[in-house]
Amino acid sequence: MPDYDAIVIGAGNGGLSAAAGLARRGIRTLLCERHNVPGGCATSFIRGRFEFEVALHQLSGLGTPDKPGPLRGLLQQIGVIDQIDFVEEDTLYRTGIPGVFDVTLKADRSEIVHALKEKFPSEKKAIENFIGLVWEFCHQLISIYYFRDQHASKDRYPLYFKYALKTGGQVLDEFFEDPCLKMAIASYWGYVGLPPSRISFSDLAMLLWAYTEFKPYHMKGGSQALSNAIVDSFLKAGGNVRFNCGVKKIIVSGGKAVGVITEYGDEIRARSVISNASTISTYTDLIDPETVSPAMLKKLASRTLGPSAVSVYCGLDCEPGDLGIEVSTRFISLNTDMDRQFALCRTFDSPEMCGLTCYDVADPEFSPAGACQVVLISLQYADHWYQIPPMQYADTKYRFAKGLLDIAELVHPGFKDSIEEVEVSTPLTHLRYLGHPGGSFYGFDQYAKDSNLFVSPLSPVQGLYSAGAWVGMGGFQPALESGAAAAKAVCRYLEE
Amino acid sequence: MNRDFRTEIEGYREIEKELSVLQKYAIQNIRPQELVTRITDRFHPKRIKMRVSEIREETPDARTLRFVPAEGYLPPFHAGQYINVYITAKGIRTARPYSISSSPFQTAYYEITIKRVTGGFVSSYLLDTVNPGDDLETSGPEGHFYYNPLFHGNDLVFIAGGSGITPFMSMIREVTDRGHDRTIHLIYGNRSPDNIIFDAELKERAQRHTNLTVANIISEPPKGYDGYCGLITSELIQKIAGDISGKMFYLCGSEEMNRFCREEFAKLNIQAKHIRSDSFGLPGDITLEPDWPASVRKNESFIVMLNGGVSLTAFAGEPLINALERAGITVPNSCRTGECSLCRIRLVSGEVFQPAGVKVRKSDRRFGYIHACASYPLTDLKIMI
Repeated sequence: MPDYDAIVIGAGNGGLSAAAGLARRGIRTLLCERHNVPGGCATSFIRGRFEFEVALHQLSGLGTPDKPGPLRGLLQQIGVIDQIDFVEEDTLYRTGIPGVFDVTLKADRSEIVHALKEKFPSEKKAIENFIGLVWEFCHQLISIYYFRDQHASKDRYPLYFKYALKTGGQVLDEFFEDPCLKMAIASYWGYVGLPPSRISFSDLAMLLWAYTEFKPYHMKGGSQALSNAIVDSFLKAGGNVRFNCGVKKIIVSGGKAVGVITEYGDEIRARSVISNASTISTYTDLIDPETVSPAMLKKLASRTLGPSAVSVYCGLDCEPGDLGIEVSTRFISLNTDMDRQFALCRTFDSPEMCGLTCYDVADPEFSPAGACQVVLISLQYADHWYQIPPMQYADTKYRFAKGLLDIAELVHPGFKDSIEEVEVSTPLTHLRYLGHPGGSFYGFDQYAKDSNLFVSPLSPVQGLYSAGAWVGMGGFQPALESGAAAAKAVCRYLEE
Repeated sequence: MNRDFRTEIEGYREIEKELSVLQKYAIQNIRPQELVTRITDRFHPKRIKMRVSEIREETPDARTLRFVPAEGYLPPFHAGQYINVYITAKGIRTARPYSISSSPFQTAYYEITIKRVTGGFVSSYLLDTVNPGDDLETSGPEGHFYYNPLFHGNDLVFIAGGSGITPFMSMIREVTDRGHDRTIHLIYGNRSPDNIIFDAELKERAQRHTNLTVANIISEPPKGYDGYCGLITSELIQKIAGDISGKMFYLCGSEEMNRFCREEFAKLNIQAKHIRSDSFGLPGDITLEPDWPASVRKNESFIVMLNGGVSLTAFAGEPLINALERAGITVPNSCRTGECSLCRIRLVSGEVFQPAGVKVRKSDRRFGYIHACASYPLTDLKIMI
């Protein structure tokens, strides 16, 4: 008899939600994590008196207790909803170009329309029409996919069928003239990892709609609190966890996944395996590529690695208000050319776009009294980082980080003088801690061709399932959802 | 669901075509995971096999060990970082972190400088039994006590005690050899003039470089000693460093000395953002800590039960990790001062003492995780590794 019903490789968001989902259904589950701390991206680290949030900027899909989003139900199912203190943010973001425009969008449809009309009065009508389109489009999308309308058709859902696969940029161009207005609406593009000209309108619309309807959230103690809560729930449900225990091989026998071999050479047998490693690692490293069909390898090869980032974690010895930081999330651009900003993600040139997140605005207890933490982020692919001689890495890293600090200083004078701690992460840092090629935390790039309209999560061998950003989209909500889905699929498989 | 409806979405066919072209011409990267490992190892190898190439006597009670790689290469490091040195002595596998004292200018070798500690298990082993030609394992360079160009400025004051000079030696070698535009005032405390490590080199560098000053402070001066004597007080700091505004203060000594200096910093109104500190250990006697419970004696022993049923004996006065190692249980570790969190384990039941300032995450505290290197048993314990 196998040692376990299921083994989950990796305790990132996807692996954690899969493991808890399984254990709470009474499935004998082992969770293996090569680090000593669970969470993957959903983690924190301490410098001085600050505990820095590593990855979570705004949690999507949670919704309020009265108007729950999909994530609330999921967290309930895995037994952690009451273990976490969520902090609701009332604002989506502040965005703009210093000296050119500056607009703040509240997480409320009519306030978004109002704020945009005030800043861009010449395009009042177009703003109303566009926001109307976004909302109606998302309602149609949800009817089709979430409520699984059996009779979905072009006639029933004309907006969906017309706009779903257009790029965000095409639709913005159709409605608007002012490039600042386009940027104001599309500022969330960094959360997908591609500029509006390259993401589908579906993704752009859903970001705006879902964050507005379900509100952006953070949590007390940061995302590490979520990871710890899920591990706790998993253990209480009888699950077994091994930290400091990497998996080096998935055992395949007779076309079925039947266990794993750990980095120490231990062989552990199970009736199924869920991998929270990257799809690339799972298909070409954890199992022998010879086991995978050539067609599947071709599909894998046709995809590209999503971006990583440089993050500058700043502990400041002042309150956010002292620097004029009044919203949790701010996007600062130096020009309206989002394609150029994206192109810079492949160079060491000074970034021209910077995300600024301050967790203490919505949760004053996040940092010690009188202090706050701010994370500056700029997307970066990894390839050019591979080329730096190790001896020059630190200089390169600091030079890049300085570019981001300069942007922060531009909009919040006094920022640099308030720094008490700074840590910088780069694509190589993310590569090291996640073990993902390219240090990619969103998984594959998310072009329209990469959506689940075209990519189905097929497994190369029976009994092997995947969870995490590489399965669908990147971000906390999608990764947690992929884990829940994998747990369900494993249950069905084990019943058969 | 009727899947076919999707093909009617405008643009669907074009993307299908795009996909078939991509799949036709895509080149399969074979095992890209190897690249991940290679890149990671370039900066952060898990372990380095080292050979001791030479040993130099610095003072009667301190020696420098030079390590060269027995295989592979040495990654670059920040002056001020440490390596964890793994040893097996008397059947016990353990490790201690030592700051690298050599210049980061080159990575042909790393040097660590070890001062004899009375009763020091690892320092005695390294000083008494290791010879040139011997092999040892170390971690890669780690730690966060180093110059950060983003906010440390150009005016630095280094305050060292005893072997706390080692990270500063690396920093001083870097700044002077590279000609960096940074001014350094070193204030170096020792018990007697005989204990001053790197004395000649420091004096020589200070003579050659106007941006380096060196002040030795002797706490137990011999008769007739005419240098600075006593403790590193606020008056002394001000006298040597001059105007303190805009200066960054780095502190590295025993935990006791660091505490003393922090109080002196407070008298000078030096803000937290202008202080970097690295302790080379936890308090020597943990039971002297202000909030240590009076009812628990230093040598009191407790039973520790592990998941899997193993049990062992641990003493109140020593870090839990030592008891685990004595019982042959290795927990990953690096800093051994409660910072790096590698030795994070779950406390299932029982109570431990954790000194103030140990860097345990908020949610770890809530869910019962502790750092074994900075936890002292106060009752019988159940832990999960």
